[in-house]
Amino acid sequence: MKKKITNFSLAHKKYVKKLKKDKFLVIFFRIFVLVAFLGLWELLTYTKALDPFFVSSPSRIIKQLESMISSGTLFHHTFVTLYETLIGFLIATVLGYLIAVGLWWNEKVRKVFEPYIVVLNSLPKIALGPIIILWVGAGTNAIILMCVLICIVITTMSMLSAFLNCDEGKILLLKSMNANKFQILWKLILPASMKDFISVLKINVGMSFVGSIMGEYLTSKAGLGYLIVYGGQIFKIDLVMSATFILCILAYLLYAIVSLIEKKYRN
Amino acid sequence: MNEILKFENVNYFYQTKDDEIFAIDNLSFNVLENEFVSIVGPSGCGKTTILSLIAGLLSPSSGKVMLDGSTKIDRRKIGYMFQRDMLFDWRSVWKNITLGLELKKEDVKKKLELAEELLKKYNLYNFKNKKPSSLSGGMRQRVALIRTLVLEPRLLLLDEPFSALDYQTRLNLCDDVYDIIKKEKKTAILVTHDIAEAISMSDKIIVLSSRPARVKDEITLNLAGKTPLKKRDDDSFRGYFEKIWGELTNEEKNN
Repeated sequence: MKKKITNFSLAHKKYVKKLKKDKFLVIFFRIFVLVAFLGLWELLTYTKALDPFFVSSPSRIIKQLESMISSGTLFHHTFVTLYETLIGFLIATVLGYLIAVGLWWNEKVRKVFEPYIVVLNSLPKIALGPIIILWVGAGTNAIILMCVLICIVITTMSMLSAFLNCDEGKILLLKSMNANKFQILWKLILPASMKDFISVLKINVGMSFVGSIMGEYLTSKAGLGYLIVYGGQIFKIDLVMSATFILCILAYLLYAIVSLIEKKYRN
Repeated sequence: MNEILKFENVNYFYQTKDDEIFAIDNLSFNVLENEFVSIVGPSGCGKTTILSLIAGLLSPSSGKVMLDGSTKIDRRKIGYMFQRDMLFDWRSVWKNITLGLELKKEDVKKKLELAEELLKKYNLYNFKNKKPSSLSGGMRQRVALIRTLVLEPRLLLLDEPFSALDYQTRLNLCDDVYDIIKKEKKTAILVTHDIAEAISMSDKIIVLSSRPARVKDEITLNLAGKTPLKKRDDDSFRGYFEKIWGELTNEEKNN
């Protein structure tokens, strides 16, 4: 095996220095873009070049958030949305994955259901809103169901195509080792599609928020989607912007958790 | 010597929606214990089909394929080595080698010892816990070979296992594999389109016609006792090469 080099050449030091410098620049400009955006926003509304009644402003958002934190409503609404999103996310991911395994297992069943899945995939799930409310009632259940419907089809389709794309040669290898179908699934198909599963998780993080917010638009008494609709109706743009801001943070946090899982899996 | 494998008037048709492809035409040959047999033929003549028939992955349309005198092929007696190494990237070298053992339900302790021994013998022990991605092409194929040998097959099927490698690695690996197979006293069938490789490795060469595959010639070689690399320098090597080359060229002209 190769020995590890310990005394580096000058060229290497220069190279490492350049790498560090580039990384610093990227981080610097990232922060710069945010600060410049917020600063410009504040400045334009402060000088009344833009009307804060329609576009709100960072200082007004902070004030709004402060008052909601002190009254405790912020955590309540955030928790409601987070709960709906996570439950929907989990149900859709697990169920979608299992359906994909089932469809992989049985080719005939797969062929029978293929057109139905295509239709379900293209159908805008929001169209089912009224039916959902009639069936499971208005409220949390309807919102979770909306979330599940939005995520599940894409989960099933992505995972199924990942399963079917598995290297035929490797399947042949296992067959030549006298493996049964369950062993092929367990030893090859599932681990080989781990990468695709992580990208499905990443997509589902975004999609499940679409589901829960859309569900809250349809029917809700609490949640960030509820705040956004309510704020819009009473022309309180500060409330809309605050809720959107919290939503940004939530979406980022969930994405970061998935990225962490991905890193852990890679090691 | 014992006869391990016997093909008796085997025919095989591939069925597709609009066509029926006649792949194997009345093929008969046999392979003796400890023999190294190569099958050469024009590309697309059905060499891999023959290996699939031996491995029991396909069944003949008519005729008999017999392993140890039985037409019911016991896959556990067969080790299949493919053109690509087929290592699983997410498993360590050790986990790849013991893959076949995981699939079995019998006691495998003895075979795990064999796996350790083979890794040491073929200079891969230091890479036991590494992922295949950190290995060179030649090392990967050696791992694939050990994965096959650990199952202690009676008959090894080699489907152009060297063709994806560069020339130097290929010649070296040929020597290694030949050495391993002879030392472990295995019977092997190599499928290849490389005439020189076939001559340097085998005791017997079966030359096939283009599709549908028939036995065109069966040549027993008198080069025993030398390594594949040395055989390439032997005086008779050229003669064998020209004979097989002539037969294959002839075959392609006729089509």
